[in-house]
Amino acid sequence: MGFSRVAGGTALCLMVLAAFGASAQTGNRQYSASNIQSGYRIYSMQCALCHGANGDGIAGVNLPRQQFRRASTDDDIRNTVTNGVAAAGMPPFRFQPAELDAVIAYIRSGFDLSGATFAVGDVARGRLVFEGKGGCTACHRVHGSGPRFAPDLSDIGALRKPSAIQAAILQPGTAMQPIDRPVHIVMRDGRTIDGRRLNEDTATVQLIDRQEQLISLEKSDIREYRIGTASEMPSYAGKLSTAEVADLLAYLISLRG
Amino acid sequence: MRKSFIASVALLGALAAATPSTAQITADRILRASAEPQNWITYNGGYDSKRFSALKQITPANIRDLELKWVVQNQVFGAWESNPLVVDGIMYVTERPNDVMAIDARTGRLYWLYRYTPATDSHVCCGANNRGVAMLGDTLYMGTLDAHLVAIDAKTGRAIWNREVADHKSGYSITMAPLVIRDKIIVGTGGGEFGIRGFVAAYDAKTGKEAWRFNNIPGPGEPGHETWHGDDWKTGGASAWITGSYDPALNLLYWGIGNPGPDWNPDQRPGDNLYSDSVVALDPGTGKLKWHFQFTPNDPYDYDSVQIPVLADIDWQGKPTKAMLWANRNGYFYVLDRTNGKFLLGQPFAKVNWSKGLDPKGRPIMTPQPAGKPTWPGVQGATNWYPPSYSPSIGLFYFSVWENYASIFRREQSQYQAGRTFPGGGQTVFAPPSSPTIGVGRKGPIDNWTSEVGSGATVAVDPHTGKRVWTFPQYDVTDAGMLTTASDLLFTGGREGYFYALDAKTGKEVWRKNVGGSIVMAPVTYQVDGKQYVSVISGNSLMTFGLRE
Repeated sequence: MGFSRVAGGTALCLMVLAAFGASAQTGNRQYSASNIQSGYRIYSMQCALCHGANGDGIAGVNLPRQQFRRASTDDDIRNTVTNGVAAAGMPPFRFQPAELDAVIAYIRSGFDLSGATFAVGDVARGRLVFEGKGGCTACHRVHGSGPRFAPDLSDIGALRKPSAIQAAILQPGTAMQPIDRPVHIVMRDGRTIDGRRLNEDTATVQLIDRQEQLISLEKSDIREYRIGTASEMPSYAGKLSTAEVADLLAYLISLRG
Repeated sequence: MRKSFIASVALLGALAAATPSTAQITADRILRASAEPQNWITYNGGYDSKRFSALKQITPANIRDLELKWVVQNQVFGAWESNPLVVDGIMYVTERPNDVMAIDARTGRLYWLYRYTPATDSHVCCGANNRGVAMLGDTLYMGTLDAHLVAIDAKTGRAIWNREVADHKSGYSITMAPLVIRDKIIVGTGGGEFGIRGFVAAYDAKTGKEAWRFNNIPGPGEPGHETWHGDDWKTGGASAWITGSYDPALNLLYWGIGNPGPDWNPDQRPGDNLYSDSVVALDPGTGKLKWHFQFTPNDPYDYDSVQIPVLADIDWQGKPTKAMLWANRNGYFYVLDRTNGKFLLGQPFAKVNWSKGLDPKGRPIMTPQPAGKPTWPGVQGATNWYPPSYSPSIGLFYFSVWENYASIFRREQSQYQAGRTFPGGGQTVFAPPSSPTIGVGRKGPIDNWTSEVGSGATVAVDPHTGKRVWTFPQYDVTDAGMLTTASDLLFTGGREGYFYALDAKTGKEVWRKNVGGSIVMAPVTYQVDGKQYVSVISGNSLMTFGLRE
């Protein structure tokens, strides 16, 4: 949230098509950490020459952001790589099926070498989990609906990599962005303010409080300032099935602004 | 900066009282914008677009104590033409191409930054500008370079919805700040240099669904279509790239319309080319045309009429009159009756030779200059989109003028191709041989065209006579807008990077600060915790001034 470096690099135009959301595939797609690693090695040797180390070397294509000219599903990517795109000068690549899976896993991870294994399910079912069993809308806001105290997730799929989102669902405390930490403030006049931090500098701090007010405070007015590291979000490990987590992740990844 | 115990209590109290958790800005609050001068809640400071503030803490007597309070530097290069809104202590301002910032208006620190990346094949003639957001409830609305309208949560800085207004591939774009009327968001499109067919459209604030669309060029069977020949209307330009005004009592929405296309070859589009270079009065509920007034028929000079309609109730020949004041890019100052569009007065405010005067209905008597000879005013006009101001307490109308500035226009046949420029010729600024010429934006810190090519002025015009009451000359040309206050101060700037406060009655300079970068928008003023501030964008910096404590 807020003025973070991650937010700064995001292209919200990606909300267009692309990505997992449009997939017609029904089964969960599993991307293992080991496949992501081997996909990285194959990509670096075979793909980076044209697509670039960051995956944005071809106009109109940004692989880690899931922005493609033609592809949508994993099978689309498989076909594009295997057949090439003659008109665009992309040659066909003769990969083994396992190599193709690895390259796709690397792309789907958002080029996330630190990424853990993750599974992506169905967007529509994931939305039902988000709004129903998961109870996520009790705290989170999406596209203008829901409370604002927890981070607004309208573009979370563009801001964070899939494995980080999965970690936020299963072990919220480990995946919280530092700027989002809860703050407890006691002013010199005795007032207390609890909020979520939005921005901070040497002299001031900006936060949103539980009444959804944006508040900017000068530190010289503050007597006590505590920054919490524990997330207020419950872990969904064991509360949602593996399939439900995969569906929820698919939905969150599809939120791109 | 250490604050006292009492000040901190006051601060928190003010924040708690002033920012309810829902419906920050209601339609009623926008109607009564002048009743809350501590805020700047629409592009033009209110529906009448006077850019006059009732704040008067900063006065000619204490202005020597005006000091810099904070600066926000933008994250991108290029002219920064945005107009901030300020609502209950929070400033919302855009930067290129389509970023929005929410800023604590006391300290200049950001709450959030929203980033939207327009399509890379967006077309804009004159810079990737955005002039600001509109606000309703706790939602902000922004038009984008790729001609979308985006609704953004004002507290979280996250998108709520995103609608395509027009196809950017055909040359449509949005650079203007939207206008909110009741439950509708109204925008116009740019792209007059790309053979578009411009329009003004209204969208439902909640859903983004289009409510109505007024085509600035009437289609077959509609009144005004006869002012075009053949298929010329399909590519006739007539963009709408600056925010309009609204009179709630008359329930009329006023919008200035841009030049016809191709820009410089009227032979390719014979006829008056309605409603190019006109002001249109629309029913804001339906988009139906109520009246129009055309300033420059069959325009060969790119004299966009995208100036802001300024609505003032004045005495006209002994009668209280609902007037519209308009200093046009074509060099004439106009007074219209805004109830019906009737022409009341037209006077040149700068050197004009493309016309020798206006007829009794306000239609110009055209005097085209021979090929190769200069036309006054030049292609950027004697004024342009820069926001003017009207002070009701003084009764004068203020705006930026380009003086002694002419262009030599050239007509050529242009072939329309979707998404490509459709110029119909070109123009060169009239200048001594080998001299650099003035461009749309400043190119560097040396004014090497000098006043031999053109210069600027801030002027005050009496709407009753159309005559200048005073002139504050600037050496370089100026694209700055105006702000007047109830303490009879006029704040403005120019390309040279001076931020001025003038005595609005006399035009005498009362304060000046070299802020180092071109000022290409109007300053705004607001108040937080009982303290008045004035903000201005200069170069890459948004600066906020207040009185020394």
